Amino acid sequence: MGKKLLLEHINVPGIETFEVYRKQGGYASVEKALKTMTPDAVTEEVKKSGLRGRGGAGFPAGMKWSFLDRKSEKPRYLVCNADESEPGTFKDRYLMEKIPHILVEGMITSSFALGARTSYIYVRGEYMYVIRILEKAIAEAYANGFLGKNILGTDYSLDLYVQPGAGAYICGEETALLESLEGKRGNPRLKPPFPAIAGLYASPTVVNNVETIAAVVPIVNMGGDEYAKIGIGKSTGTKLISASGHINKPGVYEIELGLPVEEFIYSDEYCGGIWKGRKLKACVPGGSSVPILPGELLLKTAKGEQRLMTYESLSDGGFVSGSMLGSGGFIVYDETACIVRNLWTFARFYHHESCGQCSPCREGTGWMEKVLHRIEHGHGQASDIDLLVDVAKKIEGNTICPLGDAAAWPVASAIRHFREEFEFHVKHPEKVVNPKHFEITPFVSERVAVIG
Amino acid sequence: MATIIIDCKTYEVPLGKNVLETCLNLGFDVPYFCWHPGLGSVGACRQCAVKVFKDADDKKGRLVMSCMEPVVHNQHLAVHDADTIDFRKQVIEWLMTNHPHDCAVCDEGGSCHLQDMTVMTGHHERRFTFNKRTYKNQDLGPFLNHEMNRCIQCYRCVRFYKDYAGGKDLDAYASKNNVYFGRAEDGVLENEFSGNLAEICPTGVFTDKTLKEHYTRKWDLTMSPSICQHCSVGCNTIAGERYGALRMIHNRFHEKINGYFLCDRGRFGYEFVNAENRIKQPSINGDVVERTELETRLEKIMKSAKVIGIGSPRASLQSNFALKTLVGEDNFYHGVSDHEHDLAELAVRILKDGPVRTPSTKEIEKSDAIFVLGEDLTNTAPIVALAVRQAVRQDLSGEPEKIHIQGWQDAARKNLQQQRKMPLYSATIHETKLDDICTSANYATPEDIARLGFAVAHCVDHNSPAPEHFPEALQVRARSIANGLLAAKNPTIISGAGCASSAVMKAAANVAIALHKNGIVVGLTYTMLECNSMGLTMIGGHRLSAAFNAVINGHADTLILLENDLFRHGSFAEVGDFLARCKNVIVLDHTKSDSTDRASVVIPAGTFAESDGIIVNNEGRAQRFFQVYESTESIQESWRWIINIGKTLQHPKLQTWQNFEDISKAMASEEPMLQNIDEVNPAVDFRIVGQRIPREPHRFSGRTSMHAHIQVSEQKPPTDDDSPLSYTMEGTRIQPPSAMIPFYWSPGWNSVQSVAKYQHEVGGSLKDGDSGIRLLEANAASSLVYFQGIPEAFVPLEHHLWIVPTYHIFGSEEMSAKSASIQKRIPTPYLLISAVDANIYHLKEQDIIKVSIANISYSFPIKINRNIPVGMAALPYGLCDAPINALPEWGIVETSPLTELHDYVRKTKVQH
Repeated sequence: MGKKLLLEHINVPGIETFEVYRKQGGYASVEKALKTMTPDAVTEEVKKSGLRGRGGAGFPAGMKWSFLDRKSEKPRYLVCNADESEPGTFKDRYLMEKIPHILVEGMITSSFALGARTSYIYVRGEYMYVIRILEKAIAEAYANGFLGKNILGTDYSLDLYVQPGAGAYICGEETALLESLEGKRGNPRLKPPFPAIAGLYASPTVVNNVETIAAVVPIVNMGGDEYAKIGIGKSTGTKLISASGHINKPGVYEIELGLPVEEFIYSDEYCGGIWKGRKLKACVPGGSSVPILPGELLLKTAKGEQRLMTYESLSDGGFVSGSMLGSGGFIVYDETACIVRNLWTFARFYHHESCGQCSPCREGTGWMEKVLHRIEHGHGQASDIDLLVDVAKKIEGNTICPLGDAAAWPVASAIRHFREEFEFHVKHPEKVVNPKHFEITPFVSERVAVIG
Repeated sequence: MATIIIDCKTYEVPLGKNVLETCLNLGFDVPYFCWHPGLGSVGACRQCAVKVFKDADDKKGRLVMSCMEPVVHNQHLAVHDADTIDFRKQVIEWLMTNHPHDCAVCDEGGSCHLQDMTVMTGHHERRFTFNKRTYKNQDLGPFLNHEMNRCIQCYRCVRFYKDYAGGKDLDAYASKNNVYFGRAEDGVLENEFSGNLAEICPTGVFTDKTLKEHYTRKWDLTMSPSICQHCSVGCNTIAGERYGALRMIHNRFHEKINGYFLCDRGRFGYEFVNAENRIKQPSINGDVVERTELETRLEKIMKSAKVIGIGSPRASLQSNFALKTLVGEDNFYHGVSDHEHDLAELAVRILKDGPVRTPSTKEIEKSDAIFVLGEDLTNTAPIVALAVRQAVRQDLSGEPEKIHIQGWQDAARKNLQQQRKMPLYSATIHETKLDDICTSANYATPEDIARLGFAVAHCVDHNSPAPEHFPEALQVRARSIANGLLAAKNPTIISGAGCASSAVMKAAANVAIALHKNGIVVGLTYTMLECNSMGLTMIGGHRLSAAFNAVINGHADTLILLENDLFRHGSFAEVGDFLARCKNVIVLDHTKSDSTDRASVVIPAGTFAESDGIIVNNEGRAQRFFQVYESTESIQESWRWIINIGKTLQHPKLQTWQNFEDISKAMASEEPMLQNIDEVNPAVDFRIVGQRIPREPHRFSGRTSMHAHIQVSEQKPPTDDDSPLSYTMEGTRIQPPSAMIPFYWSPGWNSVQSVAKYQHEVGGSLKDGDSGIRLLEANAASSLVYFQGIPEAFVPLEHHLWIVPTYHIFGSEEMSAKSASIQKRIPTPYLLISAVDANIYHLKEQDIIKVSIANISYSFPIKINRNIPVGMAALPYGLCDAPINALPEWGIVETSPLTELHDYVRKTKVQH
């Protein structure tokens, strides 16, 4: 049984209320930080913890905090990115829905560390019921003196607001989020300047994911060094994984980083193996934007080493034979899954969510979706596959924000590993007429074997 | 300077620019869309990708957007590397996925930036084989067509319209490859600079609707460099003709005046040239006559008559000077009301004799504080209003530089700037379109505007006179304005003839002089009512009332009226009486008016399009406009008609003049204020390698067939004795001097973007420098002292309204108001009164108010305004049959007021 830091009290009845949460030791980090630590000391603990951004990019959170322009005379802001929209990722919603106070607590402690007097939680519009839960939690925190003027009698004051988005995936990109928060069209900004220098209202701003901010709570409570002992190498602490797809036990799991992927899939403590006794075909380990991996590359790296649930291990082999931990959206496919259909679904999503600002993503995502639709529905041509590779390659790295990459990587990786499947669609249009074609007759590849 | 290496060659380039600009300046053809020299970089289109290498050993490099990449020392770049070429090709392929490829029927076709860039990148093979997305277009009013299917989503339109011009009704809607640029619903694009979208748009989404009315390909036009005639700013334009009709006005880049942009009045006001009410044949007493008969009759009239001449603020210096010479200095009268003349003369005197320099619009754009007195700039001098907006948009806080954000990084700067604005103080009679960016907007009568100005001047320098009994609340405001101006390094004070008050103009002068005495480099701008108001004032002439007296007293019996509708400059009764008293009224004009209706002899003059001439803008810059085409034999420049009349009369001077140059030379030697006027542009015999400058591009088509229905053999083109331009496509292909650029074109650059090839550096001045000669410079040894004569504070009068003129960009200017498209935008006549006065007279919006002005009753529908001062009303110039030129004037309200309310308001007035 791995250590639980965020979901430890998830099953305590009434944990969503201040009273119960406080009884379980909640808000200890606020007390500890505000009463016994300086803001810099808190930042130092976060640095020591090795905590990496849980939103997907995995950038060290302490380092991000240290970039914040503390010399500026402008107010500083902490913005929590709760615009969780990546297909296959639902951990933040679970956390906010079940233990809203851990986020509020993390916001207070983190804001204190950053010197922010006003902080925002930007929540995607689809989570309207979660917003109500958060607002209730914030009201309770205000009522109990953890928010507002002179928190716990110290001279630190903080106002915390929840801002609903209008439901655009792009507003999960930190600068688009800031634009949206400022009341503008949610188009990503060009960098530089970076938010740490000129973010919200052109002021120094840190944008962190829900889970990152929640993780500050145990870090402050147990100390950064202690937290860093969990995990392997540069992947420290615990991570929430949203497991979905063809597994027996889909759900949100808190794992200690370093857990073998194989154990995560097959252990009854976690996913409980592939459903219906079927075989493992592929997996998208970090949310829809990361490269897909065939089963054998998921469990073992190209070098034959055991693949672990860490940032480093999952990206071992680069994009040729690796993927990313990303946001922890772990999507598992059994042998009946159609990679082309799955990719088309992803492409459709990225096309729909492109903001329309820069050309490669605006035009490229729509084009890729159309081509994939055509292949999947049996109207593809042999040249379409190379066309997809070419378009994806030109999008990658050439857009203002990472949405272009997010749209391009799945296409490039799916074709890299499952090219035969695309060719099959083109060569045998009559065999893919039924949308459930591979459920009826699973595709058998000569190159990539299914596991199990 | 920095050393950079592009494609293995070393270049010395200035720092502070982006790689795209630098490459373009070095002559590299790097394609681009979203970047525009006037708008800066946003890195959206990804078309301008180049490769940047870490160092000389880096062979791989990485793609960057050149518009977003600052130039740094020792930068290794590749423009023509296989990956970048491939990527740029791909970008065009993306943009083309949904583009309709309707070039053959597109207004932009052949002069389209998208076409040019497509050819430049080499994309020619289409791999996108799906249906294209289509949009519904909007009706955007009389000026612009909307064809969204052609859109490549470069965002230039909204960036210009919203950020640059302050428009509010154009936006980007929806997302992904379905982004829509338009209004929230169909309707007229409200911003006064909307026409620029036709040039800003790199393809055919926004195109000129007036051109479509009589469409022709842009390269099939005969084009000349011209000067806009619709306000006193003197924007540079390109005017194009085909088949004897003026088809299009385009921007002609002038770094100091209009930059890349024109206002809608300037762009669409040209249609009066083609209007039905043009005078096309000479007539005597209403009968069309042959030219020979006209000349005989004129000779007869002139020989036996006592002739006076009345000039015009909308006619060229040449025409005015020719008339002055014909009738003699003693008999030449300027053709504006005495009041108008006094204002213009005051402006010239202050700018010539005063210590303060009048800035160009470019300099206004760089001002760090602006104080506008009495002028509704958007309606009287729109391009100055646009310049003021740019000045306010500047971010001089130093914050962007501190974090290494450079001037061209438009998106980042905009974000950093947030709500921060440069100070703009305005005092006007009612709200203006610049109020949204004002630090403080004050609404007052002209008298109180002047008093505020005098008070500000007094705060700046206590030697400047202070208004008496000035309320403390206003004193506080004056002090804050003065402090704002004193804190600036190069503030600009803007006033003008707009509210018809010399006191306002004097107050502006005092503020400027006071700042000058504080050692501040201040600019003083006066906007005038007409395109050549300044020039007419410099030529001089007697007052109009003296002309009336001369006829009444019998000193004169015959009038030659030059391009002027006198009814716009005097009361209807007085002017009518004057014209009736003249035995002969000879009018030279191009368009019918109340004055031509009363003329015995009407001579068809050419409009600006059919004329050569020089006019002087409000900056005192003399600029030449060139004849675009010779329409008919009967239509000639006024000055040419006058020379001919002079010849038949064997006038000693006039008979020695042959062409434009002769008049200009004579004017330069005789008019003390116009000494260099013959140097405004190169001499008539100027040639480039022995060749003239062609008015027609080499792509001009149909030359041999366009007149075939009249005569099968090709006609000999007209010769131009007045300029170095030719009326054909033959001539030099070398770039002409900046004053004589008839059109922009460069190999591979067929769109308006080709202007870059005519500039020193992209966005900078033209290679040959700025055209025009400034005639007004500050007098360092000025003896001009502070103006005294501060008016009394305005006190409302019972049963009266103090009626002052107000202006509309569409409708207030005489000629543009005759343009068909402009006419659709002219508001209905109205009288603007305050909400309080509306209550007093128990009137609702659009109710009719009866007012007697100078003993004549008028009825106007009212418009109610919250901010206009109580007891004052504003009457729009040129919209109603009212004696605007007599304003400001008290009007007696003949609509009975509601007594109870009145008592209440009277009490508050007394308190005020």
